[in-house]
Amino acid sequence: MSIPLLQLQGLGVRYGSVQALRDIDLVVRQGELVALLGANGAGKSSTLRAISALVPAAAGQILWRGGSLAGVPAHRLLRLGIGHCPEGRRVLARQSVADNLVLGAWLRRDTAGMHSDLERCYDLFPRLAERRTQLAGALSGGEQQMLAIARALMGRPTLLMLDEPSLGLAPKLVAEVMQALQALHQDGLTLLLVEQNANAALAIADRAYVLVSGSIEQQGSAAALRGNEQIKAAYLGS
Amino acid sequence: MIDVLLQTLLNAAASGGVYALVALGYTLVFSVLGVINFAQGALFSIGGYLTYLLMGGRIGVNGALPGWGLPAGLPFWLALLLAAAGSGLVGLLVERVAFAPLRRRGAEPLLALITSLGAGVVLVNLLQLLMGAEGYAFPEAALAGLPNALVIGGARIRSVQVLLLAVCAFAVLVLTLWLERSKGGRALRAVAEDATTAQLLGINSEAMVRLAFVVSGALAGLGGGLVGVSVSLAGPYMGISYGLKGLAVLVLGGLGSVSGAIAGGLLMGLAEALVPSDASGWRDAVAFAILFAVLLLRPSGLLGRRPVDRV
Repeated sequence: MSIPLLQLQGLGVRYGSVQALRDIDLVVRQGELVALLGANGAGKSSTLRAISALVPAAAGQILWRGGSLAGVPAHRLLRLGIGHCPEGRRVLARQSVADNLVLGAWLRRDTAGMHSDLERCYDLFPRLAERRTQLAGALSGGEQQMLAIARALMGRPTLLMLDEPSLGLAPKLVAEVMQALQALHQDGLTLLLVEQNANAALAIADRAYVLVSGSIEQQGSAAALRGNEQIKAAYLGS
Repeated sequence: MIDVLLQTLLNAAASGGVYALVALGYTLVFSVLGVINFAQGALFSIGGYLTYLLMGGRIGVNGALPGWGLPAGLPFWLALLLAAAGSGLVGLLVERVAFAPLRRRGAEPLLALITSLGAGVVLVNLLQLLMGAEGYAFPEAALAGLPNALVIGGARIRSVQVLLLAVCAFAVLVLTLWLERSKGGRALRAVAEDATTAQLLGINSEAMVRLAFVVSGALAGLGGGLVGVSVSLAGPYMGISYGLKGLAVLVLGGLGSVSGAIAGGLLMGLAEALVPSDASGWRDAVAFAILFAVLLLRPSGLLGRRPVDRV
């Protein structure tokens, strides 16, 4: 089997005396859409923040294409191919939609490729095209989420990590965002999707992990987890 | 009469321009780190003295090396640019010494007020050690080729004030265009708004912080050189009063607002210029009284964002 794109081995994260993550083993292979599910506070965001070097790993290893990411600063990760669309969208409210997207391509020098990617983003999310000159802060929550995803795409990541893209969105918009992620996945992008909305995530994922208070409790193919009674009871609300 | 009015307005705009430069320096650092760099006044002095020395000015009798000077002086423009660059580098040094170590250790950001104040005191004292406490007038040849006075519509005005205003306006224009339009300026604004997100986009926010200090120091240094050539160097402490005035302008315009710093600078210059010259001792009092009045009416400053808007 080839070397996985991303591999977490025994990852642990502490905030002071609080152990947020314990002994996390997780693998994302090229072309996969992997979901990381769990309740609020289970450690989903901490996992992404540790991969992005926003919080230090207290234990274990993070491997990218087989090599350790230890000591690599946060701003270097996109250069390596790891894109992170953070929780709460975090669009730059005081800059226009177009400027947000251009900043997403900060590292790139290929102007022609940037232009075609910009058009691709506008195709994927036509609402952004309509609002390209508006300040990002004036967008609705759903539009801001689309902008955050599109901005992350502008960096042409090999792996795109998304932190709760469905949070606070109306069901119709959740479906729209999930559809866009599915389309990206079908185009060959590798995704690591952190979600509380297990239903929505399992509908599009290949495989999934379930985090419960900082540890991985379950893992398997999305199809198997969809049928799992325990998961259903805990997360699918049925 | 029209002479006096025009000259007064010009003086107001020229000193307002210098205040705006200093305030913009504070603004840049404040927007990326959320703290005030109290060494800004010292960088202003350094810019003035560097311009003087680069133009071939000699160290006075109370200095460390009396009578020493560069073998050949540079033309004013070149000296001013190099002095601004030099002040920018000293600004970077201040960041490395007074800000970076605290940030690395995750210290309370307010501590940087003390460390930067300390850095400023050290810099001013070094300047005094080297140059002595005396004032310096710029060499006569500083602005050779520039007439002493210009006649506009029958009014005679000091041409050096026009020059001061023009340079300030140009610097402010270049800075705003850079911040608004260039890739680097946009990245700096991204760091100012959300440093974590900026990093996720691949922007090295530490490098942007350093850049903010360099540009901020260069703006202060530019102000120092301009004041030096238009008035003279009043002593190593000259920058402190400009630093304080710049701080007042920063608060007046609204913390972190670029347009506020410019508007605040001009308003402060105007307020001072309207004090009659035989009551010039009241100048600072009037300026600060206006500051109080504005803050009573608008606590976030003229163009400051209300606290809720600051993400």
